[in-house]
Amino acid sequence: MPILEVKNLRARYSNSTPEILKSLSFSVEADDFFAVIGPSGAGKSTLIRCINRLVEPTGGEVMLYDTDVLKLSSSELRRLRRNIGMIFQEFNLVDRMSVMDNVLSGRLGYVGTVRSLFKMFPRSDIDRALQILDRVGLIDHVDKRADALSGGQRQRVGIARALMQEPRLLLLDEPTSSLDPKISREVMALIKEIAGEFQVPVLCNIHDVQLAMEFCNKILGLQDGIKMFDGATETMDQQKLDEIYAMEVL
Amino acid sequence: MENAILHSTAERVLASRSEARRRRATIYLILFLLVAWSIKVTVIDDTDWERIGSFSSILKEAGRFFAIDFSLFPKLIEPAFETLVIACLGTLLGVVLCLPVIWFGAANITPFKPITYPLARLMMTLSRSIHEIVWALFFVAAVGLGALPGILAIAMRSIGFIAKISAEAIEDIDPKAVEAIQAMGGGKLQVLRYAILPQVLPVIIGVTVFEWEINIRRSAILGLVGAGGLGLVFFRQMNTFNYPGVTSVILAILILILIGEVLSHYSRKSVI
Repeated sequence: MPILEVKNLRARYSNSTPEILKSLSFSVEADDFFAVIGPSGAGKSTLIRCINRLVEPTGGEVMLYDTDVLKLSSSELRRLRRNIGMIFQEFNLVDRMSVMDNVLSGRLGYVGTVRSLFKMFPRSDIDRALQILDRVGLIDHVDKRADALSGGQRQRVGIARALMQEPRLLLLDEPTSSLDPKISREVMALIKEIAGEFQVPVLCNIHDVQLAMEFCNKILGLQDGIKMFDGATETMDQQKLDEIYAMEVL
Repeated sequence: MENAILHSTAERVLASRSEARRRRATIYLILFLLVAWSIKVTVIDDTDWERIGSFSSILKEAGRFFAIDFSLFPKLIEPAFETLVIACLGTLLGVVLCLPVIWFGAANITPFKPITYPLARLMMTLSRSIHEIVWALFFVAAVGLGALPGILAIAMRSIGFIAKISAEAIEDIDPKAVEAIQAMGGGKLQVLRYAILPQVLPVIIGVTVFEWEINIRRSAILGLVGAGGLGLVFFRQMNTFNYPGVTSVILAILILILIGEVLSHYSRKSVI
């Protein structure tokens, strides 16, 4: 039983530009760590943003936990989004806020607007934030400003913030592209462990094929908005990879 | 053959250079005539040369300002304080009035762009293109003499600059944090509070302090039109021909402005 089902998904940014996603279908199961690979410009980022409608698809269907995402009103969409954690390539933290405030901002969908304007988060949220910060190894950096941390630490803040949402799906948009190879591997390992602990499925854009093969159980290969491969990691081989990346000059 | 080509090219270059020289000379000549004409009509024709008198009498007239009326200083403390209060309250009120203008005037958050955006831009231009003295005249006519019209004038005059810089800072923010707050289900107000405000708050504080410093200068002269503060004393000394007193007031204004500049410098340093 898939928890996320994407059917004939289409997306384009304007009528004058070419279509980015051309009728894409795939599904994610509850225990999947699902990689989306493909050359630059294949539509990976657009695809992942269509799931939570940061980009509005032009056609198709996105079913998430039996909810038809594309039919939601804007307030229903906000309620759905609070259960979708997102981790970004460039962390997308608020630099001038403390680590704690950044992590607590993951609860914005849960606390009332007025309370959130005064940063009045309930005690339970603070306890949860501290637990999660401890889990990702940042308990000593709680009061630091986000821009005082290193890249790897900043991404851990991003992970902690996503976990604060009590996510039922994690969307990862190139989570390691701004990090060096060693830190990349650490961050991927951490996300994988945490996804297991919190029992949350992951959909992950990644252009580093090696990391995808190492950490993900399923792979979707995209090329120019078209699905070139969809299957278990074990069934992926060099020839298929060459095909997916055929258009990219290496 | 090649020589011939070189030669004709050289001729062409020389011709265009002398043409450019002629054009420059014409422009300089026109500028000179314009300046000469302006001096003739505004200075030579318009000045009452009879009354200026001899060179020594000019020096004597000017020399009357080179004295300080020390007896006036105790009487300057209260107006100086009033000037400072006008500047502070005016700036504060200006910031409050600014907020909707900033909200409407930043293209990326304005609620209904075709109407609210031009409206805010109009407010900014209006506020800045009308001189503080004119604003003060307007408010003196509206609410009478005293500090209140000064405060209102300073507030109106401050809106433009603070709002313009702040709105532009909002337009220039890094959109990544906005995306993150939206992705986790945050509403518009939460995006404003968590993604936009932290990025632009230092700019808003910095520009407000800067404006406050300028407002001290402005409020020091508003008394000339009856809006309270040191300007009023200045006006009275002038009217009673107490030139050393005028110098005392100018000194007081200078000291007040220096204090403002020092405070502004350090407080802006600490927020950036």
